[in-house]
Amino acid sequence: MASDVDTAPLVGRADTMAALRSALLDDVAPGHTAAVFLTGESGVGKTRLLAELSGRLRRVGALVLTGSCLDIGDASPLHPVRQALRRLDAELTEARTSSVVRGLLQVFDQETPGPDGAGALLERVSQGLHLVAAGRPLVLVLDDLQWVDRSTRQLLLYLLAGLGDLQLSVLAAVRAESLQGAHPLRRVLTELRRLRSVRVVDLAPLDRAGTDELAAAIVGGPLAPEAADRLWQRSGGNPFVVEELARDLRDGRDDLSDTLREVFLARVDALPQHAHAVVHAIAAGVEPVEHWLLAQVVRLPEEELIEAVRAAVAHRLLVGADEGYRLRHRLVAEVLAHELLPAERAALHRRYAEALTSATAELHQARLAHHWRLAGEPGRALPAAMAAAREAERLHGYAEAHRHWSAALQLAAAPAAVPADVERPPPVEVDRVDLLQHAAEAAHHCGEHARALDLLAELARDPAGPPACALHIRRARYLAAAGRSAPAEAEYRRALESPDCTPRERATAAAHLAELLLHLGRYAEAGEQAREALQLATEVPGSTSEVVLASAALGYSEAWLEDPEAGLAVMRRALETAERSGRPEDVACAYLHLAELLTGPLNILEEGVVVARRGAERVAELGLGRTWETRLLAIATNGLFRVGQWAEAEKVVAAALRHRPSGADAVELLLARCRLSVGYGDIEASDRDLEAVATMLAGGGARHVLPMLILRAGLAMWQGRHDVARQAVQRGLTESRSDDVIVLATLAWHGLRAEAEAHASRTMAVDPTAVRRLREVVDRVTRKSERAGAPVRYVADGFLALCAAELSRLDDHGDPELWARSAAEWDLRNHPYPAAYSRLRQAEALLVRRRRPATAARLLTEAYRMAQALGAVPLSSEIRTLAGRARVTLEERTAADPRPAPRQRTAAPAAAPAVDELATLTAREREVLAAVAEGLTNKEIGQRLFISERTIGVHVSHIFDKLQVRTRVQASAIFLRHGPE
Amino acid sequence: MTEPVWGPVHQDIVGLLADHPADVPAVVDHLTKLQDLLVRLPPLEASCPLADFNKLYLVITTTVLDGLYDDRFVDPVFLARLDVEFAARYFDALRFWTESSPSTPKAWSCLFKRMRGPDARPLPSAAAGVNAHINYDLPFALVTTLESLESEPVDGSDQHRDYLEINRIFAERIPELRRGYLDHWQLMIDMVNGDIDDWYQGELVEYTRNVAWRNAQKIWRCRHDPEARECERTRLDDNAALLGRLLLSPLGAFLQ
Repeated sequence: MASDVDTAPLVGRADTMAALRSALLDDVAPGHTAAVFLTGESGVGKTRLLAELSGRLRRVGALVLTGSCLDIGDASPLHPVRQALRRLDAELTEARTSSVVRGLLQVFDQETPGPDGAGALLERVSQGLHLVAAGRPLVLVLDDLQWVDRSTRQLLLYLLAGLGDLQLSVLAAVRAESLQGAHPLRRVLTELRRLRSVRVVDLAPLDRAGTDELAAAIVGGPLAPEAADRLWQRSGGNPFVVEELARDLRDGRDDLSDTLREVFLARVDALPQHAHAVVHAIAAGVEPVEHWLLAQVVRLPEEELIEAVRAAVAHRLLVGADEGYRLRHRLVAEVLAHELLPAERAALHRRYAEALTSATAELHQARLAHHWRLAGEPGRALPAAMAAAREAERLHGYAEAHRHWSAALQLAAAPAAVPADVERPPPVEVDRVDLLQHAAEAAHHCGEHARALDLLAELARDPAGPPACALHIRRARYLAAAGRSAPAEAEYRRALESPDCTPRERATAAAHLAELLLHLGRYAEAGEQAREALQLATEVPGSTSEVVLASAALGYSEAWLEDPEAGLAVMRRALETAERSGRPEDVACAYLHLAELLTGPLNILEEGVVVARRGAERVAELGLGRTWETRLLAIATNGLFRVGQWAEAEKVVAAALRHRPSGADAVELLLARCRLSVGYGDIEASDRDLEAVATMLAGGGARHVLPMLILRAGLAMWQGRHDVARQAVQRGLTESRSDDVIVLATLAWHGLRAEAEAHASRTMAVDPTAVRRLREVVDRVTRKSERAGAPVRYVADGFLALCAAELSRLDDHGDPELWARSAAEWDLRNHPYPAAYSRLRQAEALLVRRRRPATAARLLTEAYRMAQALGAVPLSSEIRTLAGRARVTLEERTAADPRPAPRQRTAAPAAAPAVDELATLTAREREVLAAVAEGLTNKEIGQRLFISERTIGVHVSHIFDKLQVRTRVQASAIFLRHGPE
Repeated sequence: MTEPVWGPVHQDIVGLLADHPADVPAVVDHLTKLQDLLVRLPPLEASCPLADFNKLYLVITTTVLDGLYDDRFVDPVFLARLDVEFAARYFDALRFWTESSPSTPKAWSCLFKRMRGPDARPLPSAAAGVNAHINYDLPFALVTTLESLESEPVDGSDQHRDYLEINRIFAERIPELRRGYLDHWQLMIDMVNGDIDDWYQGELVEYTRNVAWRNAQKIWRCRHDPEARECERTRLDDNAALLGRLLLSPLGAFLQ
């Protein structure tokens, strides 16, 4: 049907259209993403521009999906995306794409709640979109983004960060008025607008010429100067207002209306009676209102209804489309709002609710709840609100679920506005305690901690509520999640003292308390508490999770208190327990803690990497690939980076990213990959990862900002953009906590390095204030690290050595002794990258002083060998430059490949025989075979490799198959023939 | 052709406002540049009422920046972001004003209107700016910051303590600027934190410093409800505008 009576031309937007088209399509490199956020006051023509652009992009071959966000605050998660898909489905004619779209729509319908459900859903949606796009550029167009739900926001950031591996552009319109105050999108846009792939375009009203042109087009000729002046004054160039006023002018209604409100008021007055009823009905509905639904609400015969709708459209109060009707402007609803009596409005809502009860429609439950509530029947709204809450939880939209549960609580307490009726079904019996439990848990899940605690308080007052101990534990959990450690600790202690505490609850509370104390840095107490928890857990069958948690706390506590061996032993035992009797998550958790303990405070990197990779394999077997495997692989990547096995790290991180992780896991991996790219000097790849990280962090995640800034500074350093490095460091210093000694030390080094290199290369003047502040940071870090635990001191001292040496570069040309000390520190830590860098600087300092040239040459050769082995291109080239100046000859490995060494290293481990019978074995199978050759039993091998005896059995039978042997002796013989590496 | 909003420095100010500072050092840099431009705005130049406020704000923000470097706050991420969000709202208001947009908060426009005269005394001018900034902008800046940090406005939290530390910064820096008007300044700072009713009731000294925090808590509770949030915004804007106009009226001159 005709959606509009007559359409005015699009005036004054030609440049914007062209710019947006290139930003969204032409300038987007294959595999990249882009976004344009269009802001502007209402009526400025955002929706119109979206429609025009969508059409244009479609014509040049893009697949355009269009959806809009709804202003009923209790909508359903991902609503705009599902709506866009349904619209596409309705338009499609090709059967193939249509079935793909339906397949994707089913993904939403079949989603079930579960751990990591949200992340997995993002992955499935992006895969579905990939199929739908079928190689075409995909453009997602979203209107009224100011009403976007949290899940859609996360999906957008995930896709824009490139994590969905999808070439996508997003075009979204945001009403500028809504961004005033405290709108959550404000912050997101502030962060995003800095990115190269994102544009925030403020759509300004038309200028005088544009206003005149538009008015002339509507009126059918230029306006008289006086009328044109008045139109310009009244409209302020707002195209919507210009259009409506010009129309009135054309139709001779000029004097009646001075404002847009009056324009609409006059039109509503002029409506025929049936059309009047139609616009009132639409105003009470949730837009778009489907035709069948309108018919049931208005109750007119088909022909009269259509006539009434036509009249409302002709009076420019209503817009019609395939999916339903909506009001032309927000103001229409405002004008209408004053016309209806409350009873009339309630009656309309009742009709909507009754019509919707007998037929399913989009947002079925949310709409039912909305209409029954406004119809004054809380008893009938209640079950719908509860169903809507469950529906939101199914799609992992806890923020929406929380709002529905809260609404349900209110409805349960509200008296009915209409008298009871024997004809109606009796109100459902609802357990208030059950509602409170659900509401509290949903609030907790979506980060509304204060609200979750309030709900718990209400639960505690209810005589039918849960027992005291369970409440204490829950309150403690919520408080800990809110970062309020002190009251959380008190709650755990209360739980432990509570007389109704079951042995299981006691073990749980003790284990969590131990973990909390550890986070508070109270290591001795944490250890004690963890021991108690382990003791308590022995008496409770099936308490493996508690054992793992308490062991991790104990392990860390011992490690910090400088008994690493004991800590490690505890954590290893916990892993055995988890393997023996735990759930898959317990096993994964134990591996994670063990790997973190080894690569973190204990700094036993090689073993930590082995454990992390072994754990990753194991948890993949257990079906926890997406979450736990990626976490373990992130640990492995960072460990490999530090020990200098960059090529291997690169492979691991690529494997992990293939799982398309989301949220913090994804950020962690992107940062790890970026660290490698910065080392390699791959500026494009680094930039891309930094943008992706910044995109993700626009949605939250403050703790990853500092690592991002450090990488940004590191990258800028290799680009010679010392001012950028300085800015990144300054921002980092103003945002880091004073107890975060390692971050501060790292920042200080980057800052001093930027100043020193600026000093040496004269790219910018040294900033004395910046240097003074950096010195102060160094002093503070020195003071604090003396009091910190040994593991922190160990890392911080390395950076402090670098800082001291960089400072000497600022005073004169660098003190070779300080650089030698720094090199020694990093050698000790088995961290070749900074060690090679320190050698370069030491050589430089010696050469400048013309002292010990032979030593300098040796240092350069060493540094070069190390840098080449890493594949650290910018560092290598700096070493080469200095060597060239000093006439030191460096031995080249290969000239052609910029990253030769690591690639070779991983390609050929050690000296392999020409025909390797072991070549068919996986790395894991070789490990097992090596242990078999040592004469170990399957059980013993299992203990050594941290996997179950049964899995070893499977490995052994595979080995036998591949080597075509039947006994352990024969297998061992082959292994020994090829020689252990 | 009408004269642009910012007269001869219009292009410079538009250029400056096109940039959105992302961290506290950048905010200080921005305010410094803005100060240089404002004192060149005819006819009042150095006695431009907005420059009076901007100067005070620059001093306060610089002190906050020093505090961030000097380990003065428990939760620097919170404070740094709050500072950026807070400033962003001032720059937003200036941007709206530049575009002659009807969205310019009333709390601010009463001061902006006086930019080209008639002259107001420096003290009430600065106070009118502080009023708009604290009574109107601050609660929203708090809500946005806490939301993006996935935190909440909880009394007695580290963030709350850091927030109150800013009051001490005001107290420290203002004596330097007051040139002998301490009592009036003290009164002003107390007053601008409160609703005008409270001011008349004289209850403010004990609790009004916390009013912006309380308002933030209020907005926090209705932040998912666009209608209620807008309602709260209008209320704060009206209140602040009322007080701002009072400060800039002849009555405000008693402060000097």
